[in-house]
Amino acid sequence: MSARYMYDLIVLGSGAGGSVAANQAVSEGKRVALFEPGEIGGECPNWACVPTKALLYSAKMYEAAHEARNYGTRAKKPELDYKKVQAYKDLVVSRTGTAEGEQTLTEEGIAVYRKSARFINAHEVTAGGHRYSAAKILIATGTHNFIPPISGLEEAGYDTFFEAIGYTAPPKSIFIIGGGPIGCEFAQLFSSFGSKVHLAEMAPRLLPNEDAEVGDLVEAVFEDNGTETILETQVTGAIRKNQRKLVHYETGNGREHTVTVDNILVAAGKRPNTDIGLENAGVEYDEHGVKVNEHMQTTAKNIYAAGDVVGPYQFTHTASYQSGIAAHNMFHTKRKSIARYTAIPRCIFVSPEVATVGLTESELEKKRIDYQVGTATVDMLGRANTDDSFVGFVKVLTDNNDVLLGGSIVSPRAGEMVHELALAIDQGIQATTLARMVHAFPTYSEAVKMACASIK
Amino acid sequence: MNHIVKRAGHTEEYDERKLYASIYASCVAVRVPQLEAELVATQVCQDVAKWLEDKHEITSGDIHRQATKNLKAYNPDAGYIYETHREIS
Repeated sequence: MSARYMYDLIVLGSGAGGSVAANQAVSEGKRVALFEPGEIGGECPNWACVPTKALLYSAKMYEAAHEARNYGTRAKKPELDYKKVQAYKDLVVSRTGTAEGEQTLTEEGIAVYRKSARFINAHEVTAGGHRYSAAKILIATGTHNFIPPISGLEEAGYDTFFEAIGYTAPPKSIFIIGGGPIGCEFAQLFSSFGSKVHLAEMAPRLLPNEDAEVGDLVEAVFEDNGTETILETQVTGAIRKNQRKLVHYETGNGREHTVTVDNILVAAGKRPNTDIGLENAGVEYDEHGVKVNEHMQTTAKNIYAAGDVVGPYQFTHTASYQSGIAAHNMFHTKRKSIARYTAIPRCIFVSPEVATVGLTESELEKKRIDYQVGTATVDMLGRANTDDSFVGFVKVLTDNNDVLLGGSIVSPRAGEMVHELALAIDQGIQATTLARMVHAFPTYSEAVKMACASIK
Repeated sequence: MNHIVKRAGHTEEYDERKLYASIYASCVAVRVPQLEAELVATQVCQDVAKWLEDKHEITSGDIHRQATKNLKAYNPDAGYIYETHREIS
């Protein structure tokens, strides 16, 4: 690589979108620098996927302790020790290796700068008053929380997932703005710990990007568990009253409501971190993120981008995938890799879990693709009987040639089950093939077989 | 102290007075009364100064884009003039 530049590759961001490419490039002998102003590892291990799943596991244990007597284990009334819940979450986060993250990167040979960097031009960034140049630059700066313009919200005070994972006690009551994956997971978490949860979503159903049955079932389960789901809602204002908060919202029928809560949690989506001087480098972007082609290359040919700052999904697994593709394409120009998103699993860790993959019905309708539907409920499964867990379903979508195009699962262990469908969609496998396959008894995966067999 | 990276590669110290004068001129160009123009220019300079807090080096293009964004929020017409007439100062 040219000696004109200090580095072969500069990576902006140490999350999955940045670190995978940094490691890949350094393993190929490239000189790599990585800039990270925040925690090494980015959101997922420090603030998002990992700590929330650890908290959800504690919540599951708490609920299981209450239910254990139904299955023959008698115990005194379980008590919640939230300090220990937090300690467990911290332990889990520490085990991801993020604490030693910088050391791990430097041992690999990556120059790590704990500063935010800004483009001066297409080959140069500035950070902390110094300039650094590279032949290639990878943008993996992630996202920030979108805070909707709600009157009085700033003054009343609100939290995002950053604060919510660190609560010293579960709130007595909480109003969650946003019924997407993050809002639903926190609703699950706090309702399990006994909080009164109000979950507000603008769309007519929870998880509005998924098929209707998914959001409808999650809503029904939440309502059963005491969570108030408020749909087609516009939050119009918030006021601090002593130590509590008044939240005003308007429902679809035009009626105004007010609820008093202890905490407000904003989970209204994320926006890409693009205030890094992209214009100076000729990198185009919009409100959805940095524009890239199928090779993860931006409009500046030596600059690539990966992860949440690009989309279309904001998952760790897509960020890693894109980062690997970007690293390959930056340094291997003869045979370039292409990013494909047809079989990306989408998991939401509520109870029962939600996992989906491929196209939804509304996407198929938009694309004007004729499709067939197969469904199976989990209540008829042997495993549902043994686990005393009867809520859930599997739904599959195929084209007219029976080739799988999409699938939705609401079931215990859905996050594990979805990969069978993901593989089938990725490889263009027909539903009859899955229907013919022997699935172990008693497992929840039998519902996948049954759903595939039910297509007519 | 913020520094502006010029196209030739050298840097200059950020001079808020230049920005104030440009914003003020853009406001006056769209017939904003003098006192209001002063207020808007002061506010935009404050907004830009806040944005600059965590930045050591920026390009003049960065300042121009940020000031445009802030000015458009106060007065879209003046913002348009500022955005499209870079010679105003």
